[in-house]
Amino acid sequence: MQPILKVNLTTGVTSEYVIPAEWERDYLGGASLAARLLYPVLTLDLDPFSPESPLLFLNGPLSGTAGPAVGRFVVCGKSPATRLWAESNCGGFWGPELRFCGYDGLWITGKAERPVYIWLSDGKLEIRDAAAVWGKDTYESQSIIKSEIGVPGAHVLTIGPAGENGVLFAGLLCDHGRAAGRTGLGAVAGSKNFKAIAVKGTKKIPLAQAELFAPLRSTANCALKEDNLSHVFHDLGTASVADYADYLGALPKKYFHSGTFEGVGKVSGSTMAETILAGTTTCHACVIACGRVVRLEDGAKRKGPEYETIVNFGPNLLNDDLAAITRLGELCDRYGMDTISAGGTIGLAFHLFEKGVITKKDTAGLVLHWGDVKAVEQLIHLTARHEGIGNYLAQGSKRFGQHFEAEEEAVQVNGLEVAYHDPRGFSGMALVYATSPRGACHNQSEYFVVDMGQADSSLGLKFYDRHAGAEKAANVAHHQDWQTVFNALVMCIFANVPVETVAALINTACGLDWGVEDLFCAGERAWNLKRAINNRLGLTRANDKLPKALLEPYHDGGSAGYVPPFTEMLDAYYMAREWDPETGKPTSKKLAELGLEWVAQDLWK
Amino acid sequence: MATKFPSPAWLQTLSDKLNADERYAQIARNWEGDMCVVIEPSGPLTEQQFYYLDLWHGKCRKTEILKDLSGVKPKYVLTATYDNISRIMKGELDPMQAMMTRKLQVRGSMAYMMRNVPTVLDFVRCAREVTTEILS
Repeated sequence: MQPILKVNLTTGVTSEYVIPAEWERDYLGGASLAARLLYPVLTLDLDPFSPESPLLFLNGPLSGTAGPAVGRFVVCGKSPATRLWAESNCGGFWGPELRFCGYDGLWITGKAERPVYIWLSDGKLEIRDAAAVWGKDTYESQSIIKSEIGVPGAHVLTIGPAGENGVLFAGLLCDHGRAAGRTGLGAVAGSKNFKAIAVKGTKKIPLAQAELFAPLRSTANCALKEDNLSHVFHDLGTASVADYADYLGALPKKYFHSGTFEGVGKVSGSTMAETILAGTTTCHACVIACGRVVRLEDGAKRKGPEYETIVNFGPNLLNDDLAAITRLGELCDRYGMDTISAGGTIGLAFHLFEKGVITKKDTAGLVLHWGDVKAVEQLIHLTARHEGIGNYLAQGSKRFGQHFEAEEEAVQVNGLEVAYHDPRGFSGMALVYATSPRGACHNQSEYFVVDMGQADSSLGLKFYDRHAGAEKAANVAHHQDWQTVFNALVMCIFANVPVETVAALINTACGLDWGVEDLFCAGERAWNLKRAINNRLGLTRANDKLPKALLEPYHDGGSAGYVPPFTEMLDAYYMAREWDPETGKPTSKKLAELGLEWVAQDLWK
Repeated sequence: MATKFPSPAWLQTLSDKLNADERYAQIARNWEGDMCVVIEPSGPLTEQQFYYLDLWHGKCRKTEILKDLSGVKPKYVLTATYDNISRIMKGELDPMQAMMTRKLQVRGSMAYMMRNVPTVLDFVRCAREVTTEILS
């Protein structure tokens, strides 16, 4: 791989960091390598908003190679929302462009005296004044910076006002609306007076065996383009699953408190395709093109919402207006806020208003009635600006609940709002949410697709009933390991690429001779390393839990009456993982098996 | 009567089943569209086979064994090897699993398909229930 460029915003000093070869081999890249690099830095007393707090942008060994759906990058650090491991990956073209500059990553520390942005062109870096874009939204900022640079083909990753104002679920956006949304790293950037990074490069991506990689890449892309799931994502976007998820009772409604909502069919990916869809967008060299472009009543084309945004601002708030959902998603994008956490926290506000826990006194007269889009829009503005009740919404649902003495009502795990794949519909998601290294995340394992049927035997996955219990715990762990490989490469989780193909691409890109077992071992190693980081940050078994709402049965819908047998599932998961049930740490034996003796010495000293 | 899959008798029995099954009639009441199941040679099957079914509002209006796909434009074309499709018929392979793990190729309107997954799954249930014997 190529070096990482370190930038200290306090001093303006830059340096190249060469990644040790054995770390490249053991962790591949992306989030896994970031965990290895940041392990010593992420300490319990590190304030995520301090100058010392790192922001590590990292590619993987396949990023930018035009391989199958590998145009993504990750950003990692310590989350201000969870105060645990932070990881968020993002599509578009920015990550590959960074690699074309001759760097596989950017490691930012320090704090600039005044707002700045970075302009990296091939090997040349400038730290520029960002006064003209500070306070501007993410779309405007990208446009202004591109125009200021004046170099065609430059890509800009930026925060919005939410990041500047310290909203704990602020993200970073590039290529119009591609978002690294989760875990609040946009707020970390804001705390550094760090607005944006523009990149443009012309260098070649290094490949160990380029002549072997090229035909493999081509064959893999052709196969991926013909895959059923690629057709579904291309035609319908990520919201393709909405109708079926609703049928199964796995699509949350009314802040996870209702099993049915008549309007679901009006907001699905199928409906979007048949009504407002005007085109598609892709990430770098992707053959799927799941991104949506829609045209609303004003005639303008805009980004169409993804599944999470649709459910979040739709059935979650009992809203069935697809145009309104599109606009609310755009508002969050412009402010630079994660839509899952924004909608989740606003959902909690509606829920508590209905219960009488909060009143018009708390909302400055705003009435929060389910389905009231104008009220939702108002809360988004207040959140991004830290005004009125927005001061509490901006801290996410856990702290919002704490403020109103109703923390148990917040549908979150360890400070991250639960995504919209209900464990009462797909029981595997109970373990995924409870044990994810970054809080209630669906991208560390989108196990709901395995529960739906994507149990690929070539991966060693078995197909269990969607409501099976402890017997599927080891399967969940296995799938998490596989997805950890994706997050290392950094490969899109929608890419249904055979494991042998993934191994061959890695081998020819990195000069390795790995089989399927080696891939899973790398995934398991990084999964345990992230766990160890969180253990060092104070995480114990007590953190592996689900919020109250997810352990109460729905009265209607496709999963009525069911709750996952969570305690038994977690016990079985610990057995499968070989984690210590008392402390929640990986055992020394397991760590040694994975080549992490140095972690065992640190964790068990 | 034993109905060996795949065979003309099997296709007729499936048609009869679809037209008599109350559960299918209810679940598929809004389904509008024909399909062709293409069975690729593997195992004991040495030639491609094309099984056509015209499905409409919970009933099967027509079936036919075709020579190829020329002359028809079915709403859906489902393609799988004989080995994989016989595993589906025997209940050894879940149809969703087959579609999601590259064992059953689906071509046609994905918007319509994703709205009607329960219909597709119930169609497979009926097909399984009439399959008493598999070509070996």
